[in-house]
Amino acid sequence: MLRVNNLKISFDDNHVLDGFNLQLESGDIFALLGDSGSGKSSALRFIAGLENAQLGSVALDGNNLSDGGSHSVKPELREVGMVFQDYALFPHMTVFQNISFGISHLSKKEKITKVQSLLDLISLEGIEKKYPHQLSGGEQQRVSLARSLATSPKLLLLDEPFSSLDKSNRDQLVREVRDILKKAGVTSILVTHDEAEANTFADKIGKIEKKQLLIS
Amino acid sequence: MKDAFIKSNFWIGLLAFSVAFPIFVVGSSWLLPGSELWSHFAQTLLPELVTSTFILLVGVGVGVSILGTVLAYLVVMVEFPGRSWLEWALFLPFGIPAYVLAFVYLGVFDYSGYAQVWLREYLGIPGFDIRSGHWAIILTFILVFYPYVYMMARASFKRQKIQMIEAGKMLGAKPIRVFWKISVPLARPAIAAGLLVTLMETLADFGVVSLFNYSTFTTAIYSAWGDFRSIEVAAQLASLLVLVSFFLIYFERKARGKAKYYSSDVSHLKAYYAKGLVGWIIFFFVFGVFMLSFAMPLLQILIWSSEVFSIEWSKRYFNYFSSSGILTFLATALTVTVATILALPSRRKSNSKTLQILIRFSTLGYALPGSVMAVGLLYGVQNISSISIYFGGSSINHILFGSVVLLLFAYVSRFLAIAYNSSSASSEQIKPVYEHSARLLGASRWRLIKEVYFPMMLPGILAGGLLVAVDVMKELPATYLLRPFGWDTLAIRVFELSSEGLYERAAIPALMMVIFGAIIMLLFNKLDSEKY
Repeated sequence: MLRVNNLKISFDDNHVLDGFNLQLESGDIFALLGDSGSGKSSALRFIAGLENAQLGSVALDGNNLSDGGSHSVKPELREVGMVFQDYALFPHMTVFQNISFGISHLSKKEKITKVQSLLDLISLEGIEKKYPHQLSGGEQQRVSLARSLATSPKLLLLDEPFSSLDKSNRDQLVREVRDILKKAGVTSILVTHDEAEANTFADKIGKIEKKQLLIS
Repeated sequence: MKDAFIKSNFWIGLLAFSVAFPIFVVGSSWLLPGSELWSHFAQTLLPELVTSTFILLVGVGVGVSILGTVLAYLVVMVEFPGRSWLEWALFLPFGIPAYVLAFVYLGVFDYSGYAQVWLREYLGIPGFDIRSGHWAIILTFILVFYPYVYMMARASFKRQKIQMIEAGKMLGAKPIRVFWKISVPLARPAIAAGLLVTLMETLADFGVVSLFNYSTFTTAIYSAWGDFRSIEVAAQLASLLVLVSFFLIYFERKARGKAKYYSSDVSHLKAYYAKGLVGWIIFFFVFGVFMLSFAMPLLQILIWSSEVFSIEWSKRYFNYFSSSGILTFLATALTVTVATILALPSRRKSNSKTLQILIRFSTLGYALPGSVMAVGLLYGVQNISSISIYFGGSSINHILFGSVVLLLFAYVSRFLAIAYNSSSASSEQIKPVYEHSARLLGASRWRLIKEVYFPMMLPGILAGGLLVAVDVMKELPATYLLRPFGWDTLAIRVFELSSEGLYERAAIPALMMVIFGAIIMLLFNKLDSEKY
């Protein structure tokens, strides 16, 4: 279960979020809507532990990750995964190396099995040896998703992951990713400014208005 | 998390400070009471020094900017006969030490050189002194240093969108106008960066100015230390040089501006196709520069080497060669390591002003002549010893003086800027999102550096390393002052022979250096061409 309480974020005396609260049950798929500059990405990055805030706490499955706007658990120890807008696949690594990056503690054999099953999940078998630049945008985004799921995170954050794709590929991928996440049973938050995308993707939708989160 | 960050910042700061140590020592020389020698220098020599250094900088600066930019434009934008091999051949002069080119030209054009003998005997032109005036030395510097501007401008032209030039053409602009109004303004930051390195190198040069008997700050510093044994005056003069470098860096920053002009797409289309006579005129121009700056000097060195081989060659050359090789290898490895640590992308977000300034300082050594670097180090070590003795400790002089450690320290301080610029350029291209995703995937700081940053920075690190290697091999004054007994390098041998006018014999060690340099430049070019 995820709890975000009383989050307050401001840039140069300009408050973007004030009194932001969110509670999700395990397995929930949530979409966070908001105009650009509304602070939705900042909220996500605070939950990930990548940015500080003025105020606010985060607890995941009963563990306090952040309190008073600063982080008590480092990003690398949070068991939180993130999918970025421009995929952020490491360009010098193959698909296999990218996906297995977060599971380096496993044996070679276990890694191969895990990567196989993830590639199976995202329906992209046989591309282990390819490099990111040899893949299409949609493929890169699915690999990026597989990479985040490899570590079996308790929470997955998706920061406008579909916005650099063209419309025709987007709708299908949104549905696919939703199915993958449902199958994996991972609690997820999608940040987007596209209402239709949010409707297709999520069980619950919230919108940032007047610096606060309104759940519809 | 914050504590660990501050701690790592502290070590990085200490590293940068250590590298900048000779510069601080030089700067602190002003804290000493003024000496009579300084006022003598200031009244009699300083005005002349400032004028001649200024003329040299302006002449070399203008010449190198024009030649480097025009050559880069021609090989990138225009298709002409021989273009593809000339494009890489123009890099080769990088491997020739400036003083080698200088002694070759002196050997040929000196009063007793065969060019003047021929002019006198066949055309009746009276003898002249090539060392007098400014033009000969300026031309020599231009021929050695144009590759700096050429290299930077070439990379920038390659990234210019062909569509922009086509748009210019469709609007009716002639090639010259496109060059002046579109391409050059877009490449301005790159040209300025190349110019900065050139001017710093010119300021720091010792070999060429001594061979030409031309007085600049470097020769004055050398004379203050060598003739008058005044480490203070040498250091004070050197700090003026550091000040000039500060100005140059400031102007380069200004020229660079905030704009990021170029796209990262590299086009292989040519904007112009020069056929027929025009093509051949361009070929002969570019080929001429290559001949003057590389092929002819190399040929001359080869001729001289074969003439004096039996007199000059001996087993000692294996020692010279191994000294040069070992020092080059060790210094390059150290410099590249320090540069990589300072350039890691995680440094960016630290935003610690002190750290940024320390890193800036640590790269200033590039403008310091090797002799100053050496003097600063010797002086600094001596002071540390005095302090240590004062507090009841022992002197460290005997450990460091005449040791490889001090010489390597001088090389790192002197050449860090080259390695740092190259690795930080590749580090700047690493978006923060890679760090974020690696950390969210559970990577430790060490794994982030080893598996993400390092491989992504590797091309820049290697390119910087190759350039450092060429420079260390060529380095003369610091090596001269600090080398341990029995560590004579090829550069020292060249200088010893050529300063006595034994140009023919100097050709043998010079040839070995040129071959070594050319191999490194070919490797560099291979690395560079893989980028495109």
